[in-house]
Order: sequence, then C-alpha cells, then structure tokens
Amino acid sequence: MNGDILISGRELRRHYRRGSETVRALDGVDIDIRAGESVCIVGPSGSGKTTLINLLSALDAPTSGELTIGGRRVDGLTEHELVAVRRGFLGYVFQQFHLIPTLTVAENVALPLLFLGRRADTADIGCVLDAVGLADRARHLPKELSGGQMQRVAIGRALVTRPRVLMADEPTGNLDRHTGEAVFEIFERAVREDEVALVLTTHNLALAERCDRTLSLVDGRIAR
Amino acid sequence: MTYGRLAWRNLARRPVRTALTAAGVALAVAVAVSLGGFNLGYRQAIAGSIERLGFQVMVMAKGCPYEAATMMLKGGTGLLYLPQSAHEQIRSDPDIEAITPIFIGIAEKQGLALDGPSVASAFTIFSGVEPDSFRSMKPWLTLKGGPGYDGGRWFAPESTNELVMGYEAAEYEQRKVGDTFYASIVPAGSVTPTLHTFTVVGVLERTGSQDDGTVFLPLEAAQRLFGRNGELTIIGIKLREFTGIRMREFEGRWMSIPEVQVVSLEQVKGALVSLVGTAQTMVAAVAVIAVLVAVIGVLNSILMSVHERTGEIGVLKAVGADRAQIFRLIWLETLLVSLAGAVPGSLLAAVAARLTDAVLRTLLNIGVTQPLVRITPALLGAAILGAVVLGLIGGLWPAGRASALRPVEAIRSGE
Repeated sequence: MNGDILISGRELRRHYRRGSETVRALDGVDIDIRAGESVCIVGPSGSGKTTLINLLSALDAPTSGELTIGGRRVDGLTEHELVAVRRGFLGYVFQQFHLIPTLTVAENVALPLLFLGRRADTADIGCVLDAVGLADRARHLPKELSGGQMQRVAIGRALVTRPRVLMADEPTGNLDRHTGEAVFEIFERAVREDEVALVLTTHNLALAERCDRTLSLVDGRIAR
Repeated sequence: MTYGRLAWRNLARRPVRTALTAAGVALAVAVAVSLGGFNLGYRQAIAGSIERLGFQVMVMAKGCPYEAATMMLKGGTGLLYLPQSAHEQIRSDPDIEAITPIFIGIAEKQGLALDGPSVASAFTIFSGVEPDSFRSMKPWLTLKGGPGYDGGRWFAPESTNELVMGYEAAEYEQRKVGDTFYASIVPAGSVTPTLHTFTVVGVLERTGSQDDGTVFLPLEAAQRLFGRNGELTIIGIKLREFTGIRMREFEGRWMSIPEVQVVSLEQVKGALVSLVGTAQTMVAAVAVIAVLVAVIGVLNSILMSVHERTGEIGVLKAVGADRAQIFRLIWLETLLVSLAGAVPGSLLAAVAARLTDAVLRTLLNIGVTQPLVRITPALLGAAILGAVVLGLIGGLWPAGRASALRPVEAIRSGE
C-alpha cells in the first residue's frame, strides 16, 4: 500500500456529445494507483466504471482534469503519444476476452511483444502460459477453449510485457463463480509476486472485498 | 510471431474472398504480361523478318506502303508489277552493293494429283528469282541434305520446269528432291488456268522466314508462266552504306522512274508497326481496365476485411500497436494478396505465351514468322513489381483508415 504512485488522476472528467445532449460519463474523479495494490471499482451499469478504466489505461483521453501515468502527464496527448505511454507499462484485460481468433494461444500471448519490437522467446511464453495454467494449450485456437481458459489467455497476453499496472474491465463478468475466482487468483498472484498494481471493475462484491481498496462510482463520481 | 504471419492468417480467415481477389490480380497481370510480351515480341519479330529478307531497300510499283509491307513479308495478293527495265537502270547505281530482281505470283497447287483425282487445292506463293543474285542476298539459304534430299541443287537460270521448295512448303506437300510438283497458273489476261508440271530439284533448310513457305523457280520461267514477260514484282537492294542520307539520295535518283517507288526497311517497319498500332492500343486499354478492376478488387477486399475487424484492430491498439504498425499490417495483407495474384498471373502468361501467339496471329493476321509474344524475366519482374505497387496504392486507403481508428471506439463498434 506504500508503493510508488503509478497513476494519478485529478478532477478527471469525460464528457460525450450524444446528439444535442452532453453525457457526463465521468465528472470530477480523483484517484491514485500505487505499485503492488489492488483497486476495485464498483458501481451500477452506466456509472462510469469502464470510462474511468479506459482513461487510466490511456485508451481514451479525459475531457478535462490532470492525469499522470508512469510519471508522465497524458491529458491532451495525441493517440500516437498515448500508445507510447501504455506500451509495456499497462496490461489490459477485457470482459469479452478479445483474442485474435486466427492465432494460437501462444501467439495471442506473444502478440504485444511484436508491437514492442521484442522477440517472443518460447521459454518466456511458456512461463506465462504456465502461470495462467495453460501450458498444455499453447497450440490451441481460441475457439477450442472454454470461457475461463480464454480469459486466462487474455491475462497472459496482458502480463507478457511485465507491465507495472494491470487493468481489467469486468474480467469475470462472462465467467461462472468458480472460474471467476480461479481467474482472480491469477490477478492476486501477479500483485503479490510481481508487485503489479491491479485495477479492475466488477459487479462481484465478493471479489471486490478481496482487493486492497474499493472505489464506488455513482453517476461519474466516486461515492466513497 | 511476425507481421507476415499475422497478415497471412488474416487473409486465410476468408479464403474464398482472398482467392477471388488474387485471381482478379492474376488475370490482370496475365493480360498485362501478354500485352507487354506482344509489344516486345512484335517489334523483334518485324525486325527479324525484315532482316531475313536480306535487303535494306526494295523498289516496287507505286502503291500503298501497307501493301508493300505485306508483299515483302507474306507474298501478298493483288500484286502490282514494274517493268524489268527499271532493274537494268537501277543496277548501275554506284551505291548498290547487291541487287536481285524478284517476280511473285500466286499459283493453285494440285495437292492430290499424284494419287488420284484432285479433290482439294490451295494457293501457294511462287517466287521467280535469279539464283545467283538471290542467294548472294541471302547467304544463309542452304539446301537440305539427308535421305530424299541429297543431291539437291538450285535450278539453272534458263530452266523451265525446275523448282526449289522452301522447308515448310516441301514438308506440307511431302515433296523431296526428284518429286513432281503440279500447279495451275492463270496467265495474265486469261481466265483459264493452265496445269504445269515441275520437278523439285532442291529443298531448303528451315530459315524461320517467309521463304520457308515459298516455292522458287527461275525468274524468266515465272514471268513466262504468269504471262508477264519483262515485269517484276520487287527489286531487292542492299546499299553499300545504309544511312538516312544515302537512302534519301538513292530514293531521289530513282523516284523519277514512272510508276516506281523506293521503300526502305525502316519505312516498312513503320508501316507494319502502325498496322497493328490500333489493335495494340485497344489491347492496352483492356489491360489497363483489367488492372484497374483488380486494384479496385484488392481495395474492396481489404476494406471489407478492415471493416469486419474493426474491433480487433482496436484490441491490437490496446495491447500496444501504434498507427504505423497497424498500417504496416494492413499494407502487408495488400502486398500478400497482390503477390499471390501477380506471381501466378505472370507464370500463367509465360506458360500460355504460345497460345497467346496463336490467338494474336489469328486476330491480327501479321506477316511475320518469328514468335510474336516474347516474355522475358525483366518483363515478368516488371509486371510483378507493377502489380505490387498498384496493389499497395490500392491498400493505402484501407490501411490508413484502420490505423486511424481510436481503440475504445473501435473495440466498442466491434462488440
């Protein structure tokens, strides 16, 4: 809990135009994410959870406010500059897994290394697959896997670059309770063993209680 | 994992669409290569055929230069004649290195007269020549040897019933040295054909020129049989120095002879090239349209692929891909599909060159014997490179569009 601040947001706002209406998806959020802590963001649908995690992941830019990721101010950066910020520093896990269907498990895991210009060492990929419990599925295609296995591949893909922060948007939302807990244990292990900061959104309060901190979002603001 | 493998897997996702797109490129490239091969081969064929005529200048009766060109290379029909006195006058020109008078006539050969009643006949080109001057103009002409051909010789200038057959004429008629050859000739001013019997005294080796299909007989005999004593069809001339200036000087000296024109090989080449110029332009237009359609096909295919994978491209960006990397990936897909069409298309054109040659000969009726379609490695390389460059130009838009996608919006639209 006393680790370095990796991500810091002040008065973060993200407003969208929907026709003539302005949607205030986030409306003044302050947040700090430290190394080695797990932070859970909860809240009802439409409360701004995904918007917040997208901002913290540098996948989107705030309308206003100050956002620092890895010591670098990112508010106002272009898409090209945001790519440089998230590369290698952030890992992202989606609720829908979003694996590339034509690539094998090992190739999906190795994909971020391609964009980092790093060679995908077979041993390293094997190590990641081992960590997510899929060492025997390396050559399988996503369509040959269960939902839980696909999510573990997605986690492997997020961890392969050894990121400082792991972002997960409702990672267990499409999994049954047992599988969800197994997946969450992988996150916990990454936080515990590698000092990775974990930020996740979930509707599962039992999982939220296992995190170091829980932030509740309501109408784009942190309630407690 | 490499960009190439990733691009290939993306293309393999829709194998039918990829194959059809590549087939479109292949077809366009095959057409373009065939056209390029034709342009290349045709000029070489014209040059080769004219080279095999043995002379640089010909003197002939005034008329259309296209007729002159056709006559030189194919024997021609609707022949015009000039007085033999022109030959006597011109031969004294100091710039002439060699000169040979030629009389050309069309005779109806009696193909089956040896075995029974004539049920089929066809026309053949009879060329009356002076053997010595004709052979000095074409030193490569040699008589065929071997069983049935040994003892072959050129006819004596004064003989009346001896002839020498070109290689293909003899093969087609199945004649050897000592055989008899029958031909019906309609003399000038008459409508009744007269059957003549000749003895084959020699058969020529293949030359790859129009001489292969010609039957040669003495000049005087030919003039007499066709009822055109003292007339010639062309006078072949080799100048000591063949330059534009010398040619114009030579032409100026002899254009004064009534009803005579002096035609240089360069003029003939120009005439023959212009003969098929329109056809070449039309074929080129077809090739350009085919290439454009193929490029549009590539563009459409890749654009559809990008549209289908919008969400996936967003994910690639989320896991670390920047604009340049996405652009590279999509462009690589364009490159692969272009190559997958261009390489087989080029090979197809190379393999089918002989067929293309036959088709072009049928369509264009060109008077050359050398291959009309000449496909070289440089031509194949240029076609493949051209297809790839055009494909990549076609891929600019989809690649640019994909690279400009914002990750969050792309992922959301793909869900």
